[in-house]
Amino acid sequence: MDFAQNLSNAIILGCTYLLMAAGLTMVYGVLKVLHIAHASVYTIGAFVGVLVYSWVGNFWLSLLIAMIFSGVFGILIYRFSYYYLLDVPRTVPLIASIGLFVMLTDLLQKPFLMGPYQRAFPAGGAGLPRIDTPWFSITSKQLLIFSVTIVLMVLVYLLLTRTRIGLGWQAASLDREMAAAVGINLNRIIALNFFIGSALAGAAGVLVGIYNNSVFATMGDLPSYKAFIIIVLGGMGSLPGAILASLLLAIVENFLVASIGYVLPRDSIAFLVLILMLMFRPHGLLGQE
Amino acid sequence: MYKKFFSGLIALIVLSMLVVACAPQTTATPEATQPPAAETAAPQVTEEPTMPATEQPTEAPQEPIKIGFFSPTTGFAAADGTSALQSAQLAVKIINENGGVLGRQLELVFYDDAAKPDQASAIARKLIEQDKVVAAVSGSYSGATRAAAPIFQEAGIPMLSAYAIHPDITKTGNMIYRIGTLANVEGRVGAELVGKVMNLKKVAILTVDNDFGISLTDGFKQHAAELGLEIVLEEKYPLGETEFRPIIGKIKSSGAEVVYATGYYNEAANLVTQMKDEGLNIPIIGQEGYDSPKFIELAGPAAEGVIITTDLNRDSDRPMTRTFLEQYKATYGEDADMVGASAFDAVMVLAYAIKTAGSTDPMAIVNAIANLKDFEDVATGPFWNFTADREVVRPVSSQIVKDGAFHLYHEFDDIKLVTP
Repeated sequence: MDFAQNLSNAIILGCTYLLMAAGLTMVYGVLKVLHIAHASVYTIGAFVGVLVYSWVGNFWLSLLIAMIFSGVFGILIYRFSYYYLLDVPRTVPLIASIGLFVMLTDLLQKPFLMGPYQRAFPAGGAGLPRIDTPWFSITSKQLLIFSVTIVLMVLVYLLLTRTRIGLGWQAASLDREMAAAVGINLNRIIALNFFIGSALAGAAGVLVGIYNNSVFATMGDLPSYKAFIIIVLGGMGSLPGAILASLLLAIVENFLVASIGYVLPRDSIAFLVLILMLMFRPHGLLGQE
Repeated sequence: MYKKFFSGLIALIVLSMLVVACAPQTTATPEATQPPAAETAAPQVTEEPTMPATEQPTEAPQEPIKIGFFSPTTGFAAADGTSALQSAQLAVKIINENGGVLGRQLELVFYDDAAKPDQASAIARKLIEQDKVVAAVSGSYSGATRAAAPIFQEAGIPMLSAYAIHPDITKTGNMIYRIGTLANVEGRVGAELVGKVMNLKKVAILTVDNDFGISLTDGFKQHAAELGLEIVLEEKYPLGETEFRPIIGKIKSSGAEVVYATGYYNEAANLVTQMKDEGLNIPIIGQEGYDSPKFIELAGPAAEGVIITTDLNRDSDRPMTRTFLEQYKATYGEDADMVGASAFDAVMVLAYAIKTAGSTDPMAIVNAIANLKDFEDVATGPFWNFTADREVVRPVSSQIVKDGAFHLYHEFDDIKLVTP
């Protein structure tokens, strides 16, 4: 029973990692930029979600608005920072990205935005049921996270493989210049890429906010590096890799804690796995050499 | 090159943002009309608002008495730091409305230390050398307070630690006092609560892995051994943990009758919620880290029945407790917490000490604090006295969450139990 329960809890945790990492790996795929400020988008998504929820009291509407807002915000980040940094060494946008993240976090913490205190996000399970089996239970919040994640990932998959613009995205992530040379509108591809990636981060923020019933300005600190580790594990720019790595990491974390306790902080397990990965398989689980 | 220029520009902007974010801020004494935390790189102290002429018509205007104050209003500890700052400002306001101290107004000189030791020591020097404060209050965490304490000690300026719990803070020297109850005293009270008041025997202990959690657990285990409690499981978890489900599984199979869980309100809210989710319905004992209205807001119905040990008794009918709770709510629109109450009390003790000493001489202030007896003008009191090790002796309260609010569960006033 313990095993099944731990596994189901780990998969839900993995879902929250996955939404965050998927967006990040998409951005890397096309722009080759390590977008640390992605975690700011996650925080902003959660903030918008909790605000809208407090006005309308409807989870689905607040999720939708938070995702659209985050998506647009992501495009703005691109247009006003990385856009100018496409042809300089890759460390420059990375540093700009770290700076943006620190600045946005501090800005969000100002009293006229989120302030220093945590806010509750009491959306519960949005009316979904709790599932009890003899082997494990899934709370309504967990079911909500699981189903929203699955639906969003299926939508992204269909968009990237079944539409013209999705194929353009795939081409651009293989070789940006070549894609531009064969007539793909790069600006549209990149904007779409940021929109979708950031909307996923916003959704992750909303779901984690509900799961932990708390939204606060520094909630992006941990995901900022954990999502980065996940996309390195999965293979930079590989979407299936990011999904696989998210789930694996969550499972490893949960089972280590459940079996031997916190011999080291749970969040440092990710770094340990990262070091092993870089030593033995530097291109990641599903990345190309 | 256009793009190179732009990237350089952005790097510069980012850098300057970082510098601004790290620069200290200064606010003057509280005034409802004043914008909070005027942000300037070079801190400046605004003048104290003048008193209405009717109150002190004959006295010539005198320099205010400056008290230094630092707490984290940015960074991970911003919530506690803001509560502490607002409460200290409230104390100054109440004191000044009642005629100030020695016929002079109090003025709070505030800097944000972001709970960082290096910033706290720089702030301590600035408060001493530049602002020439007569005494200081730390509204910050243990790390920052420990860094500032030796600097105040060396300069011979009294410093009161509001709620930082590390034992080394007061060991710095004779100028350093503490307002909050020592963690191992509170841990002892926790064990007393489990063994004597609730009559339970099998305990699972969860410790947040920092000096706060470890000192609490040490105190708890020491007294638990004296009471013959059985510790069936002990786990440490890192600060900021949100996922307790794997540990809850272990508690379930350990056969524990009660969980003693140290931590802060955000971890605690996740812990109690997840325990209910996983169907583990045994009592949870927390401590002052839980003592915030945010705990009840974040944990919702899962907070019901949680018992904590703390310094702030919200059901107390002592006048100063009521004044603090009511005025805090009226001024800031939020319910007060324990951290704020401790910062409030630190300022009240300082004001009393200056008044009793009859001067702002540091040694006279320190002597007045050392000789303090049965002091009632504090929110978390009464303060019976300070020990020779400069630790406060006072009753410790335990509170239970009922109908969405903290209420008195049991008051521990056995002097032997609560003396450090």
